[in-house]
Amino acid sequence: MQQTDGYPIDTSQLLKGVLDLAVLAVLAEQDSYGYDVLRRLRDSGLDGVGDASVYGTLRRLYQAGSLKSYVVPSDEGPHRKYYGLNDRGRSALDQSTKTWGSFTRALDHLLNGRSSTNAK
Amino acid sequence: MPNSKQANDVATYAAAVRSALASLPDAERASLLEDLENHLAEVAGESDLSLQERLGKPEDYAAELRSAYNSGSNTPNMKQRWPFRERSWALVKAAFGTQVYSEVRALLPELLPGWWVLRAYLIVLVFAFIFRGDSNLRPIPNPFSSGGLLQILATLVAIFISVRLGRRGMPVNRGWRGAVVAVNVGIALLALPVFVSMGTGGTYAYSYTDTSDPYFSAVSAGYYPGLTNIYPYSKDGKALKDVLLYDQDGRPLIASTGEVVTNVPTGGDGLPIPNAYPLDQRDSKGLPVLPPRVALPPWQTSAPAASPMATPSP
Repeated sequence: MQQTDGYPIDTSQLLKGVLDLAVLAVLAEQDSYGYDVLRRLRDSGLDGVGDASVYGTLRRLYQAGSLKSYVVPSDEGPHRKYYGLNDRGRSALDQSTKTWGSFTRALDHLLNGRSSTNAK
Repeated sequence: MPNSKQANDVATYAAAVRSALASLPDAERASLLEDLENHLAEVAGESDLSLQERLGKPEDYAAELRSAYNSGSNTPNMKQRWPFRERSWALVKAAFGTQVYSEVRALLPELLPGWWVLRAYLIVLVFAFIFRGDSNLRPIPNPFSSGGLLQILATLVAIFISVRLGRRGMPVNRGWRGAVVAVNVGIALLALPVFVSMGTGGTYAYSYTDTSDPYFSAVSAGYYPGLTNIYPYSKDGKALKDVLLYDQDGRPLIASTGEVVTNVPTGGDGLPIPNAYPLDQRDSKGLPVLPPRVALPPWQTSAPAASPMATPSP
């Protein structure tokens, strides 16, 4: 990974801002429990995400009323607390998706403009 | 299936996380940690490594948990919830935590006896100010004036009492303790206006018309700081004797009598005439103070004995 000007992008800082969105997106796919959410986030490429961050985010989203939660007994271990989107969670996901889209478009535009200027 | 060793690991780790989050409000803490053990058991079941090896120190885990739980738009930011009062109190506590404060604090007990003496002096000064009605109070009263000796004696007695009281220490009772502090602060505050009036009245800020005897008020008024004598000469360079000097308000001009002894002449009524210049002075060894060499204007013709013009002082 190349770092320039001593001002590299800190992936964990980026993650902080979008972890809510990532968790909501994972749960929109399928209801799941804490450790499974973490695994799926990592599988999709966000391997810098921490266990505590995911667990804390789930609890906060649940507390804020964006998630439903239910306990599923498990044969192979402790009961699992599953989380899934409710209506509020789905509208939060839609809203955040739009915000993320316009944000990345703006940033892409900036970055592309810079690289074409450099090419001249 | 987690074995008993893993269950132990989970319990220990969860307990450490819980205690690291002890400062959170109860409701918030309960909500955040509701599912912690089950969640950790899930993590532990995935691998034979200990939780500490996989998740890091419980304290760091707790910090990350807390940060994730508090960030985001759904809960108000911790900083914004911090009211002004708490912030200013934190500032005060930070000031008390500095090294300068602790050093000053450590010095205070040693300064205490000094304050016992000072407060005795101050309280007598305040009483003298009130009861003597003397607007031209001096830092040290003139022992030869009527109230001056009394004031000095009263100060000595007050110092004796004050130091004895001080050595007995602070009372145990909180109320009395507060009263003692209040009295001490009161003495200091009361002494302030007295000192201020002293500062303005120090040299000669008194009214000469207040008393029928200008010499009395001039003598008790104090002195011109730094000025110990005046050597008047006539225009033709002759040293003058027994010249009475007055200021713009008609008050006798009094020189300060620092280390020299002045032999003050007395008038026909037996009262001293302190402003007859040059003053007849003797130094601490009893030798007469000699007049200085002075440079006289060029038109003078006859050189005075004491100040020959040929050797002007630099």
